[in-house]
Formats: sequence, structure tokens, C-alpha cells
Amino acid sequence: MIFAVLIPLVFALFIPFLSKLKDKVHTGIFVLFIPLGIFIYFIRFIGEGFSPLHHTYNWIPSLNINFSFYLDGLSLLFVLLISGIGTLVVFYSIYYLHKTEKLGHFYVYLLMFMSAMLGVVLSDNVFVLYGFWELTSISSFLLIGYWHHRERSRYGAQKSMLITIFGGLSMFGGLILLTVITGTTSIRSMIDQIDLIVSSGYLPLILVFILLGAFTKSAQFPFHIWLPDAMEAPTPVSAYLHSATMVKAGIYLVARFSAIFVVYEWFFIVVSLVGIITLVWASYMAVRQTDLKGILAFSTVSQLGMIMAMLGFGTEAAVFAAVFHILNHATFKGSLFMVAGIIDHETGTRDIRKLGGLLTFMPMSATLALFGTFSMAGVPFPFLNGFYSKELFFEATTNLNENSNAIASFLTEAIPYLAVFGSIFTFVYSMYFFFGVFTGPKKLELLPKKPHEAPIGMLISPIILVLGVILIGLFPNLVNGSLIQHAAEGIRNHAVAYTDIHFWHGFIPPFIMSLIVVGVGIILFLTRKYWTKIYEAIPGNLSFNKVYDKLVKNVDDFSAGITNSYMTGSLKLYMSLILGVIIAFSFAIMFTTGGFSNISFNDLEEISIVDIAIVLIMVLAAICTIFINNKLSLIIVTGIVGFGISILFVLLRAPDLALTQLVVETVSMALFLLAYYHLPELRKRNETTATSITNLFLALGIGTLITMVGIAAHSSDWFDTISDYFVETAYTLGGGTNIVNVILVDMRGLDTLFEITVLGIAALAIYSLIKVRKNKEAE
Amino acid sequence: MEYLILILAGILFATAIYNILQKQLLRIIIGTVLLSHGAHLVILTMGKLKRGQPPILDDSVTSYTDPLPQALILTSIVISFGITSLLLVLSYRAANENKTDNMDEMRGESNE
Amino acid sequence: MSNLAILPIIIPMLAGIIVAFTNKNVKVSRFLTKLFSIISLIVVSYVTFEVFTNGSIILETGDWVAPYGIILVADELSIILVLTTNIIAATTAFYAAHSLSLKQETHYYYTFFFMLIAGVSGAFLTGDLFNLFVFFEVLLMASYALIVLGGDKVQLRESVKYVLINLFSSMLFVTAVALLYGVVGTVNMAQIAERVAEVEQRGILTTIGILLFFVFGTKAALFPLYYWLPRPYIVPNPVVSALFGALLTKVGIYSILRVFSLIFIHKMEITHEAFIWIAGLSMIFGVIGALSTNNIKLTIAYNIIPAIGYIIMGIGIFNQDALSGAIYYLVHDMIIKSALFLLVGVIAYVAGTSDLRKMKGLIHHYPLLGWLLFIAAFVLAGIPPFSGFIGKLQLLKGAAAADEIAIIIIGLLSSLLILYSVMKIFIRGFWGEKDEQNNYTKKAPLGTIIPIVCLLAVSVFLGVGAEFVYPSVEGIAEYLLDPEIYIDSVLKE
Repeated sequence: MIFAVLIPLVFALFIPFLSKLKDKVHTGIFVLFIPLGIFIYFIRFIGEGFSPLHHTYNWIPSLNINFSFYLDGLSLLFVLLISGIGTLVVFYSIYYLHKTEKLGHFYVYLLMFMSAMLGVVLSDNVFVLYGFWELTSISSFLLIGYWHHRERSRYGAQKSMLITIFGGLSMFGGLILLTVITGTTSIRSMIDQIDLIVSSGYLPLILVFILLGAFTKSAQFPFHIWLPDAMEAPTPVSAYLHSATMVKAGIYLVARFSAIFVVYEWFFIVVSLVGIITLVWASYMAVRQTDLKGILAFSTVSQLGMIMAMLGFGTEAAVFAAVFHILNHATFKGSLFMVAGIIDHETGTRDIRKLGGLLTFMPMSATLALFGTFSMAGVPFPFLNGFYSKELFFEATTNLNENSNAIASFLTEAIPYLAVFGSIFTFVYSMYFFFGVFTGPKKLELLPKKPHEAPIGMLISPIILVLGVILIGLFPNLVNGSLIQHAAEGIRNHAVAYTDIHFWHGFIPPFIMSLIVVGVGIILFLTRKYWTKIYEAIPGNLSFNKVYDKLVKNVDDFSAGITNSYMTGSLKLYMSLILGVIIAFSFAIMFTTGGFSNISFNDLEEISIVDIAIVLIMVLAAICTIFINNKLSLIIVTGIVGFGISILFVLLRAPDLALTQLVVETVSMALFLLAYYHLPELRKRNETTATSITNLFLALGIGTLITMVGIAAHSSDWFDTISDYFVETAYTLGGGTNIVNVILVDMRGLDTLFEITVLGIAALAIYSLIKVRKNKEAE
Repeated sequence: MEYLILILAGILFATAIYNILQKQLLRIIIGTVLLSHGAHLVILTMGKLKRGQPPILDDSVTSYTDPLPQALILTSIVISFGITSLLLVLSYRAANENKTDNMDEMRGESNE
Repeated sequence: MSNLAILPIIIPMLAGIIVAFTNKNVKVSRFLTKLFSIISLIVVSYVTFEVFTNGSIILETGDWVAPYGIILVADELSIILVLTTNIIAATTAFYAAHSLSLKQETHYYYTFFFMLIAGVSGAFLTGDLFNLFVFFEVLLMASYALIVLGGDKVQLRESVKYVLINLFSSMLFVTAVALLYGVVGTVNMAQIAERVAEVEQRGILTTIGILLFFVFGTKAALFPLYYWLPRPYIVPNPVVSALFGALLTKVGIYSILRVFSLIFIHKMEITHEAFIWIAGLSMIFGVIGALSTNNIKLTIAYNIIPAIGYIIMGIGIFNQDALSGAIYYLVHDMIIKSALFLLVGVIAYVAGTSDLRKMKGLIHHYPLLGWLLFIAAFVLAGIPPFSGFIGKLQLLKGAAAADEIAIIIIGLLSSLLILYSVMKIFIRGFWGEKDEQNNYTKKAPLGTIIPIVCLLAVSVFLGVGAEFVYPSVEGIAEYLLDPEIYIDSVLKE
């Protein structure tokens, strides 16, 4: 299986070479064989006796991240969709994309996506699944941005990336929690440990994390906003990624994990509610669209909502219906997208206001659209697969599980009505799509091109899909026991009873619901001129787009606002903030950990008058540095402190230090005088009182901190210093009598070596600083 | 004695910080000089003060002051000297190029 | 053969001295730089191999036994970071000549470069706290020199701030070392650890630990100490920015990792808990910074901060998974940050500006640069199968095991925003119509592209080939969790 998953990715590496031949051979022709081969490889698994397969290939075993591929009914259904529709889409694209386009890019992205999507539905390892999941987002991003010279494409690409990667990361969070709780990275092993997950207390959080991933990917309300903008991608991409496969990854995820969540009532509440709202809202919104692909995008959102809702119901019948609808939706929606692409290609516009009466020009396309739209609308004809799954959906809404939770039981009551309400609009937009484009007055003058029927090559793919619609419609049990049932078993994680699907059930609620949908739908469709005004009253989808736009814009503005408020380039501000934090934290820690306690006054030396005098002079000089406004005096007063230190060193019996300090201080003084000979005179510190107080506070804070920590450190007498060793060995091992010198050149010779290095670098740096200036002046 | 020196070190730190928080470069650099003085005094104190003779071996002496802090201070003095010199030249050049020695006027634009 | 431990410090140091004498002849300097950085890389690879096969290499310099002399400890953690440093050094050595001006090269760029590497390697290898201060000064002094190299007005201005803040933290460092010496009477890290453990980090010790944390945190650019970082990092030449971005902050975070896994581990409920908070805030403010600007160099510079946040989060959580994640992330971030800085350097060079608002449709002219940036963005954000993913995965697993849910959410959100901040450059700068007014005549020299590709290849290898690396990293985490091993290996007698 690893070959099936990775072949598209590997083949993508050769595309750049193949696309060089594109003048002779359309790159798509090479690509075509990849999905076709995968489809043929997997189709043989279909059958009553199918049993799941499992292959593992090691990747990072030490992290339990391995290519662990698991093919059960659910995966098989998806794999066939991915490869089957993939084949048709590639074939369609050969006619759709002209050779002057950047075909190489297109097919690389498409193949990347194919691998990724196959990986998502086949991986049993959660992190491999996550990796492929993000790769689908990335390839989708690149495909939406395929025509990136258009502003709308860039906008759509960025939007889809932000929303789907946000979801992906959230899902990643959920997967991490699951892994940590169960100690495994295998989805199947996780499902076996439901008890552990439930008792961990993290179930609600995991649910939120995983569902955010699923809802964003499958464009559920209110994350659906990226999908309409994704329509900027070339139409084959819309048909493939944004209708048949990628957007169903979220559905797949929920289906895959529903065995874990189904015990939890909030799973039902959240998933059903979001699903049904999505169904209603998007179908309502689809009617107002003017772009053909816009209608189809909202329609896709709405249908995904319906499938999602069914997974939320969690009953056996609902799951079965959901799986069945995944297949049906792929067939009719795929064909409709391709028809929309044909119309765009042959008339030059997708704006339904400019289209009309195309039936005479494009009879084949019209026929295809007829089947597609009527199937989508759920019109009760025995040759339309859409009707069957819609009917199963209605049936599922009327047979929900009993629930003790108040919200859940309210939802159980409301769902059938919402389902009908949403389906009415589904009916309306389906009719709107078909009749708006193919019947009515011709508006040829509005069209950029003179319309004509598409070349046969372009029609083949939608024809095959529509044949699928009809075939499943006529023989609904064709794929039932061999595929759908296995898929449902994959979701439920146990055997599912065989459900016979047939056209006529009798006058039971689902059929009545269907009749209501068709009846009210026809009325609404015919009278839509009169009621479409309500879209002005209810602003609709734009409001969520506005939220997104605001959010993205505000992220930039908000972060610029925050950052510029403190990153002002002012050293003083930076220092104040750093000092403030150090003072606050250190004092807090000192007091909470009892740092400043057990202060002893025992182990101290006597103080002599000379000591006090020197210290006092130094203190005075140090304080004077603040108040002096004359640069020469300032330098001299600083010198006093420095020379004071030298004297202290003498008093404190550190002769080497005293000497060094004396030399360094003298040289420093000279340097100071040299460097500042040219500089302006000191100005008065004209600062506000507030600034002065802050500065004073920070200064005293640090001073007090150092003194207090120093006293506390001095008071602790737990250990002897290692210095005794130096005294003992300075002569015997070091061969010197000046212990400090021996330490410097021998025991800690490395310090001294690099201290000199520092000095060397400084010298070189100063030299180059001065030399650069000289060079500049010379120029 | 130790605590007296520690208080002196604290005062040196405080005056250093106060100067570093000023606008004019010269004051800031003076601040850093005071800072290193303060730090060196802390190092010295941590080895306890005056507990014996200067650390130069002599048969007549039995106890010496702690030599290790003195060695550390020597290293530190040299390094501080290096940095101070660099900082001086750097400030001089920066002030010349930017035509100001006021750090407030050396903030820069947010998008350069 | 314990002398091996000093080679990673001595080779670049000597190389630095040698190239200082050839600065009149740039061609010789360039050649020697490449040669020495390759030699150094080979030697360090060998030392790494030795360490991983035969255990830590302890060098008692001057034959003064621990804890009295200065000890160099080449254990698995330090040597893996030294190796990463040398990989970056070697790639930038090849990039440098194409990026620097002749003036910068002849003003001892190569010497400062090698001194920086020597300082960084020394900081990783030393087992002595005061010696760590000295190596910090070596690398800082080299960085001061590098940052002003060229002597632009802006460079001078930013470097003054940079030097001043670092000078303050250095002085605090030396004070904190002294205070610690006052309590435990030693500067050898193993012995400090032993003695701190003996008194269970009582009294003033935690406060001194926090002072050290602030010192390292300032160098590492953690919240709320990072203000100095972004602008000084973008004013020098891209190759210098890359070295800074990859190495300097990482030395700070390494020091925190070392000190707070070896010495101050007895009041974790205070110190390490605070780290998690700091981690979260670093991530938040870091990405906010990254999103705040249209300057592409600044975007990358700000992105250093959340990455450091990730690493400190691992130190804060302090379990096996989180620590392995932190180390993996540390290595990953060194590589990818240098790659990104080099990359935006080239982009800014060919575009003639680093203002994103003035770029569009660059991909029509520079497809390779665009795709490199695209990949780098995903590497940076930790999208599988790249290197960032492995580290992030382990960090978040560690956080989940420690029930730190808030930090997981912040971590994930900041990943998204990190990705966005870099993808913005791709979407706005590379995508779009061909810019008709600007015909982009400048070519991106191959000599600048190859180092970037190499670094990205290492990143991809660290992700895809994680099985070759991760088990060792896990071993390091185990080793860090048991400080006794380090202490015993140093104070064996």
C-alpha cells in the first residue's frame, strides 16, 4: 500500500521533466496513469467478502511514527473516490487546461494532493495521518493560488491555508492528548481503549480539538467561509479537492474517531447541530449566489453538513446513509463542477445573470446538468442516486437515539424540521442552477464568447460520473453489500446489518418529507423573485467573511500596535522594563523562598576609620556622578571612584588587584578624555519628576537587591571554599609563590587565555572602527 | 566590614543604573564603569575579607585571604576594560554619525 | 585522548588569528576560512562520534583536577550543539564572500567570525561557571565587532544599545557567579550542583538561580527581556544576522538548560513553573512581533523569540519527552534560523529592499528563492515531516503528560501565526503579477543559494531521518534528568 500512497509523490518529481515536453504531449496524459493504476489496484478489494488489510513500514519507530496503513471499508471507499475521481479529473484537465498554462506546477500540486489524501485515509498512525493532512492543506493552498496573479486567488489561498492549517494544528493537539493518554499512536488501538480515554477527563477537550480539525477541513459552519473563495482554483481542482475528496477529509476524521466519541452525548449534540446548521445555512446561501461555482461551493458545504449531521446522529442507519451519500455526492457534484467548468470554458463566464437558454447550444452539457441537479435536489426518480441517500437521511432524522440530556432531546425534536427546511433550499438552488443556465431567454450579447458544445474529451469525465448517478440510482444495491456496508462497519467498528435500499417504501415519514421538499421547493423556485429580498435583510455569509477579514486585518494592525508601543528603539525603556522585571521577580522569589533569613553578624571583620573614610568618599563620588553637568568633572569624579577601589583593594589585601586597577583606571581616564574631547557638553538632566522617581526606584531596587543577596550569601556557611587547595598547591604543583598569579596562569589558565583573546578582539574591533571612518573620510 | 563593602557595592550598582537610564551617552558609559566596580567589589566580598595576609606564599604566614576571587576579579577587570574601550570608541563614532549623543534621538524608524 | 574536548575551541581560535594576518589578501582569507571551517567540522564530527560511542570526554585543563582547575565537558548535549554550530559555521563560511563587501572582509570579518565560533563552542563545552562568563565575553566581543562591521549610521546606533544591554547582563552574570561562590565556595558546575543538592537549594540559592536565569534569559531573548534583539539583528550583513540568529540566543538558552537541569532543580515548583509561563508569553509576544512588521528581516528576527519560548517550555516541563523535544527543537532552530536569515538576506538583496510592501511577483524572476522560502516556512512552523515537527511533537507530548493544556494551545496557535508571518512574504512578495516597473536585474549568486539548500537539507534530514537522530536525543534527555551522571563523570576521583 505504501507504493500506492507514495507513487504520486514520487512521480511528481518527474513532472518538471515531463512538462518540458508539453508542446508535444499534454503533461496530463502522463499523469493520468497514476490515479488510474491506483484505482485498478484497489477496485479488486470490493466485494462481499472484503476483510481489512494492514501493512506497516517503519519510519521513526523510536517515536512510534510509522507508515502503518490500514485498509478497511471506510478507507476503501475513500481510496476509490480519490483515485477514481482523480482519474476523471486529470482526464478532464487535459482538455480544460491549455498547454500555455504552467502545467508542470499544476500536476505536481495535484499529485502531491493525491498522495496526501490517500495517506490521510489509509494511515492508522495518527501522526502520519496528521502529516498527510497538512500536506492536503498545503497542496490545496497551492492549487487555489494557481493563478496567483489574481488578487482573489491569493486571498482565497491564504484564507484556506489559515483556516485549514488552524484546524490541522488543533487536530494535532487532540491527537497528542489521545497518544499521551492511551500510550499508542494507532487509531485502532486507541479505539480499543475508550475506557481509558473517558476516565482521563480529557474527552471534552479532545473532542473540541478533533472536531475543530474536521469542521475547518470540511467547511462546516462557521468555518465554511474558505470554500467559496477556494473556487478561484481551476475547475478540475474544485471538482476534485473542494467537492469530492479533500473537503471530505473532515468527514473521514469524524467517521474514523466516532467509535471513540459516540459514547459521549456532546458528540451527538455538537456534530449534529453544526452539521444541520451548515446544511440549512449553506443551502439558504447557495440560492443567492450568482457565480455558478459559488452555487456549487455552497451546495457542497451544505451537503457536507448533511453528511456530518448523519455522523453525529450516530445510529447505524444514519452512518450507513452518510457513507452512501459520500459516494453519491461525489458523483453528482463532480459532474456538476465539470459542467460548470465547461460552461465557463465555452462561454467565458460563470455569472448566472449573464447565462440563459444554453440548452440549444450545449445539449450534452445540459443533459448532464439535468441529471446532476435533479439528483442533488433529491427528486424522486428511480434513476437518481441522490434521492436514495436523501431519503435515508430523512429516515435517519426521524429515528434518532433517545437522549436524557435536555439539549440533546430538544435537538432530536428539531432535527427533522431543519432537515426538511434545508432540503427545500437544496431543491431551489438545484433548479436555479439548471433552469437559470439552460432555459429562459438567451443573453448572447453578455457573453464574452459565442457558446458552443464542449469537445467530446471534456465531456467524457462528467458523462462517466452521470452514468454513475444513474447506475446507482437504478441498482442501489450494486455497491451496498460490497462497499457501503463495509464502510459503515469501519466507522461503527463492528458488524453492521445489511440494509436493503429500494425506491419505494410506502407513505412513511421520509417519503412525505421528500414530497414536502419537492412541493414547497417548486413553489419557492417559481416565486423566488418575490422573496429573495430577504437576503438583504439577513446579511448572510458576508458577515462571517467580514469577521475573518477583520480578524486577519486586525491581527496585523493589532500586533503592529502592541509591538510598536514598546519596541520604540528607546534604550531607556528597554532597560527599565528589564530592570523592573528583574527587581520584581528576584524580590518575590527571595521572600517566598526565605532567601533573606538567618542573617548572621558573627563572621565579620572589624571596620576601621580608614575603611569608613574611603567608602564614604566613594559613595559621595558615585552619587555626584548623577548631579554633575560638566563632562570633565564627571570623568574626574568617576576616576575618584576607580582609584578608591584601588585603595580598597590595598586595604583588603589584594595587592595584585590594586596594581591592575590603578593601571586600568589611569588608562581608562586617558581614553575617556581622548574620546570625549570632541563631544558636546553635558546637558542638565531635565526629566519629569515621574521619570526621576522611576529611575530612582529602579536604581535603588537593583542596589538593594545586590546588597541583600550579597549579605544573605555571605551569611550562609555551609561549605568551605575550594581555595585552600590553591594555597596548598600553588608552590608544590604550580611553582609560584604569588597564589593569585599561579591561579591566573595555571589553574585557570584557560580563563586568562580567553581574557586576552577578548582584549585582542576588542583591539581589532576598535582598529577597524577607526579605520572604516578614515576610509570614509578619504572617500 | 563585609556588609559595609556590600552596601557600597549596592550604592555603586544603584548609581550605575541611574546613570545608565539617562539619555546622554557619556553618562551611560560612566554608569557601566560604576557597574563593573560594583560587581568587582561583590566578587571580592564573597571570598570573605581580610582573613589573613595577601595571598603571596610566605613561610611565616599561616592564613591568607581567599585568592580565587582575586583571580576572578583580575580576569573581569581586563575584560571590562576591553569592553569599556570598545564602547567609548563605538559611542564616539555612533554619536558622530548620528549627529547626536542623545539616546532618545537614536531610536530609529520601525521599518528601515 | 581527552584533549579532543578543546579542539572545537582551539581550531577556530587559531584560525581566527591566522586569517587576521592575511587580511590584505582577501582571496587567501576566503580560502583559509573555508578550509579551516571544513577542518573544524570534520574534527568536531569525529569528536561527536567519540562522545557517542565512548561517553563524555572530560578535559581537566592544565591537569588541575576537578573541581579546582577549569573543566571542559564534551558530553552528548554540548557536543551535539557544537556540531550544529560547526555545520552553520561551515555553510556561512561559503556564503560570506558573496554577501559581504570587500571593506567588511578586509576589516577582519573572518577573524571575528572564527572568534565567535570559538566563544560559542567554548560556552557549550565548559564545565566551569566563571569560564562560561569568559566564553560569553569572547562571543559577545566578537558579536560587537561583527555588528558594527561596515560602520553604517544605523549599525552604529543599534550596536550601542546592543552593547549596553549585554554589558549590563554580563556584569550581572559575574556578580551572580560571585554570589553563588559566596554560598557554595566553588565555581565548578558539577561541584556547585553537588553542593546545592546537599543543602536542597535552601536560603538565598533560588534567588541567585533566578539572577542567573535573568542573565541567560537576556542573552536568550526570552519574554520579558528580549527588547534588545530584533533590530540589532537585522542591521548587519545577512551572514552576520544568520550567525547571530542561529547561535547567540541559543547559547543563552543552552545555559539555562544546563544550569536548570544540573544545579537549580530542587525548587522546580517555583522556577520551572515560572518558565512555562515565560514560555507562553515569549511565544505570544514573539509572534505578535513577527506579524507586526513589513520588514522581512525583522519578521525572521522576531521569530527567534517564540522558538526560544518553545525550548524554555521544554525545560519548564522537565520530563523525558519535553526535554528531548527541547533539545531537538534547539538543534532544529539553529539550522532553520540560519537558513532563513541567509534566505531573506538574498531576497532583500535581489529585491533591493526588505520592505514587503515594495515586493510583488518575485516568483516570476526567482522561482528557486520562492520555493526555498516556502519550504523553510513549513520547516519553521513544525509541519511534518520536517525537523520542527519532531521537536514540537515531543514538547507537546511532554506538556500533555504534565497536564499543561494552556501551553499546548498557545504553542499550537503560535505555530499557525509563525507560519502565517513567513507565508505572508511568500503570498505578498512572491505571488502576484509580474512587477513591470522593476525588472529585477540582480541575480541571486549560486554561492549564496547552495549554503541555504544545504541547511534546508539538514532540516529535512532531521525530520525525515529522525530515526537516525532522535534516539540519541532521547538519551541526552535521560542523561539530563539524572544530574548525578554529570557530577560523577566530572568529580570522579
